[in-house]
Amino acid sequence: MNELVATLAGYSSAWFGPQWGPPVWVFVKTLVLILVITLPLFGCVAYLTLAERKIIGYMQVRIGPNRVGPAGLLQPIADAVKLMFKELIIPAGANKFLFVLAPMLTLMPALAAWAVIPFGPEVVLADVDAGLLYVMAITSMGVYGVIIAGWASNSTMGFALVCVLLVSQSLNLSDIVNGQARGRFAAEGLNFLSWNWLPLLPMFLVYFISAVAETNRAPFDVAEGESEIVAGFHVEYSGMTFAVFFLGEYANMILVSALATIMFLGGWLPPIDAPLLNAIPGFFWLVLKIGFLLFCFLWFRATFPRYRYDQIMRLGWKVFIPLTIVWLVLVAAWMQTPWNPWQ
Amino acid sequence: MLENYFPVLMFIAVGLVLGGVLLAVGRILAPHKPDPKKLSPYECGFEAFEDARMKFDVRYYLVAILFILFDLEIAFLFPWAVVIPDIGFFGYAAMMVFLAILVVGFVYEWKKGALEWE
Amino acid sequence: MEFAFYVAAAVALAATVMVVTRLDAVHALLYLVVSLLAIALVLYTLGAPFAAALEVILYAGAIVVLFVFVVMMLNLGRVALAQERRWLAPRTWIGPGLLALVLLVELLAVLGPTPPVQPGAISAQAVGAALFGRYLLGVEIASMLLLAGLVGACHLGRRTTEGT
Repeated sequence: MNELVATLAGYSSAWFGPQWGPPVWVFVKTLVLILVITLPLFGCVAYLTLAERKIIGYMQVRIGPNRVGPAGLLQPIADAVKLMFKELIIPAGANKFLFVLAPMLTLMPALAAWAVIPFGPEVVLADVDAGLLYVMAITSMGVYGVIIAGWASNSTMGFALVCVLLVSQSLNLSDIVNGQARGRFAAEGLNFLSWNWLPLLPMFLVYFISAVAETNRAPFDVAEGESEIVAGFHVEYSGMTFAVFFLGEYANMILVSALATIMFLGGWLPPIDAPLLNAIPGFFWLVLKIGFLLFCFLWFRATFPRYRYDQIMRLGWKVFIPLTIVWLVLVAAWMQTPWNPWQ
Repeated sequence: MLENYFPVLMFIAVGLVLGGVLLAVGRILAPHKPDPKKLSPYECGFEAFEDARMKFDVRYYLVAILFILFDLEIAFLFPWAVVIPDIGFFGYAAMMVFLAILVVGFVYEWKKGALEWE
Repeated sequence: MEFAFYVAAAVALAATVMVVTRLDAVHALLYLVVSLLAIALVLYTLGAPFAAALEVILYAGAIVVLFVFVVMMLNLGRVALAQERRWLAPRTWIGPGLLALVLLVELLAVLGPTPPVQPGAISAQAVGAALFGRYLLGVEIASMLLLAGLVGACHLGRRTTEGT
């Protein structure tokens, strides 16, 4: 593998000369790596939509899509092709530029944040020190795509993350994962009890529920409720403009699940320190955990009735913010004592 | 160290370009036959009752201000959380004073009913 | 990196000029976002990724969104455009333009002899150590300022709910 990379780098130098060769090579390599992350992500989004329809179908004693391909497995592809050939309608009176820019602005952060997500030990596109801050900065730009409800959830997520920072003392996502491999339980081989979800359990719940609100998912989907406001702004978007919005929202779901996995569920770490489990590559564990959280997203949608806007606000301001402040103070105090479990 | 960010900036560019490419694909493959009725904004089959850019409720504005204030607080909490082992009990106490002042404001808001949403 | 700095700085300047001269408030805000992002890039090229991230999160991601809310809330239409056009008449530029020119000359005179900033990254840990060490008093005073903001916001919201 390394030989292949070196050979390709050599070709680049040969073609573009010693001065331009290396930068061109870095550019091409980065571009390929970016596509290696984004294209499978698009595939995941496509099959997440199928999984959603199937799982919710079974939860409601239906069988979901089963006509296109075996057991409906080609349904997402049929959907994508259909959306591609649908007319793009830009309503008269809408600002054309902004109308087209909005879906792009929703998709971009959901993709670009993956640059700093570690897929395994040392397997990350950009191992930057302020990785977490970067993710927050890039996702905060997503509000321009959709300026709407569920917006206050951003703050509560931030508070929950401060607790994670307290115990890991790093903004680097790989360091945060590695920090969870240490601790009293990890020393006895029970890794999964040392992950942040247990000592920071309220924060994990706050983070995950805020994430559901942040991604405009049921039961907090007041901006897109299909029964009250016929899916909100989605009505005005057709064809590929709708598809890009949709892609952005589902990619965002996968992104927040990945972040929750890294912050609270030990990222790529195996749950128990056993030789057999350690032999399985970390990527598998990461995907498994993300998959579990995504299943929760779908499960919530099938289970809970939609919250009203005032109920979401009350939950955010009167439950989550006080809870996170209290937990923050407690964790910080806990760390000052000799019983600090995060040594 | 700053070079580490190059893939990040490139990812942002690729993210925008991919969105643009997808939209362009739709524009090329899909039919394009606009007519005034099709493009007119609608509300449940009627002509629009009022300008779609309707006035915003002042309460959204309040929520926005609160949101920014708490975001600012997080801006102080982040650097504090990453240096807590170095600054020890002094740093802990400093942040507790900071938080206490803000909790006063939060309690005030709560008691005044600014967090209610009737 | 120096090249990136100058490009970002030029974009910031151009975008800021557009913010001032645009008649439509929404367009002006969009340029403001561009300007803030460009400033974040400037901070980053100077070796302060933490400050750059905060610039994006707080200014571009939160405060401008508030401005957008205000513009939507006020629902400025053609009247506001006409008013803005009147306000931005060429002769109103003379006074502020001259005064700004004086400041610019002074700024150039002050900045001229200073050596360029040494490139080197400042980590979040360094920012934290500075904030909760040397500048602790500033942090505590900032919390008072935020308290004032909380109380102020509360009254802003209250008066309008009574009015309806």
